[in-house]
Amino acid sequence: MNRILRFISASAVRLGPLEQQLLEALWLRGSTTVRELLDEGSVELAYTTVMTTLDRLYKKKILDRVPEGRAFRYSPRYTKEELERAAAGETIHQLLGSGGAPSLPLSYLVEAVSDHDVRLLDELQQVLDRKRQELCSRDGATKERR
Amino acid sequence: MFAARCAGVSLAMFVLAYVLGSLAIGAGWRLLLRLLWPGSARATADLLFAIRIFPLGLALATTLGVALPSFLLLEPHATDEAVGTAPLALAAVFLALAVWGVWGAVRAQRRTSRAMQQWLDGSTRMDSPNAVPVFRSRQHSPTLTVAGVCAPKVIVSDDAAAVLTPAELNTALRHEIAHVRRYDNLKRLIFRVAAFPGTAALEAAWADQTELAADDAAVSSIDDALDLASALIKVSRLGIISTAELSRALLHSSTALGLRIRRLFAWGSGRRARPARPLWFCGFSFAAMLAVVISSYNAMLGGMHELTEWLVR
Repeated sequence: MNRILRFISASAVRLGPLEQQLLEALWLRGSTTVRELLDEGSVELAYTTVMTTLDRLYKKKILDRVPEGRAFRYSPRYTKEELERAAAGETIHQLLGSGGAPSLPLSYLVEAVSDHDVRLLDELQQVLDRKRQELCSRDGATKERR
Repeated sequence: MFAARCAGVSLAMFVLAYVLGSLAIGAGWRLLLRLLWPGSARATADLLFAIRIFPLGLALATTLGVALPSFLLLEPHATDEAVGTAPLALAAVFLALAVWGVWGAVRAQRRTSRAMQQWLDGSTRMDSPNAVPVFRSRQHSPTLTVAGVCAPKVIVSDDAAAVLTPAELNTALRHEIAHVRRYDNLKRLIFRVAAFPGTAALEAAWADQTELAADDAAVSSIDDALDLASALIKVSRLGIISTAELSRALLHSSTALGLRIRRLFAWGSGRRARPARPLWFCGFSFAAMLAVVISSYNAMLGGMHELTEWLVR
């Protein structure tokens, strides 16, 4: 995720409908050339349109490619989930990055948490589980007494 | 010429009061908070907001309540005096501050509207326990947020809706709705209009207190408190961002999160560390200040006129 955020720019995360359609097809197939994509029939576009769009996705660092004969074989760099999370993070980062939360008329439940705080969240989760157990056993004891 | 001098002097006094007030709160807001310790998070947030907009209030009161009447009452209309360099320069500073403030607010509002449009695209309306509409966003939205000033909307991301239990989601929504009820987004916009360098720490402290106040409003039992704590932990896991990507403001919020969750764990077990200042203390201080202003109003008008004379020369 951090890796993705570092490489994908804000504009890259915003994909056009054609880019989205081809990316979906690539997620389904795993890797493909332009010709394979067209022969499969799931995409009804001109060869050059597909080629240009895949090249654009490659330049946006969303696809990888390796030469295969005179063409390229394209494969997605990230899974769908990874890309969506990166895009969400990027949007929030873009919004908040320039001046912090109080600079925009938005209130968040949680703004953002650093990757250093994962251990803190684990610790808090343990305390929460303990508290819930205590509460359950207390409620159980009260009911038994009744 | 009289009208031009009147405008120049009024704007100059506005700037002087605004700048002095801003410098004073920048240096002394922590001390003031300790002195007036209001106790609850809600009252602390209100006090911090009042301190933050104090320079604007002081500047308006000084200009409209003292400088303008003093000029109109004590300045002879017939004189053909020039506006003066100092009032002109200060009026230019006023214009710069006003443009900066209004531009900042317009920019913030436009960025938020654009983001909201993006988040609401293809969203579905969810059941809401309140008049505030709640939308489930399929776009790249923050996990849970309330956006907008005139027609606020709560936006829940698909991830958050999937990961939270109904009880956790309800408590989290109550938290967001508490922000709406307290007009927190409008207050953020007012901060932008009343912009002044060096107020970031005060605004961050206010933001922290508004979160605590919204937590308090959302929680009415230990079960609610644990649900909200759980929602915070789950939502935090969804929004983890690399430290390198975080701005200072976000790092601050990241540090405050642990304290906030621990506060929820301790719900109902005497959280208040220090007793609040009694209300009569604040009321008495305000009444005393008002009495001083009223009793010395004539002297203030005279003093202000001398100051403006000195400024014009």
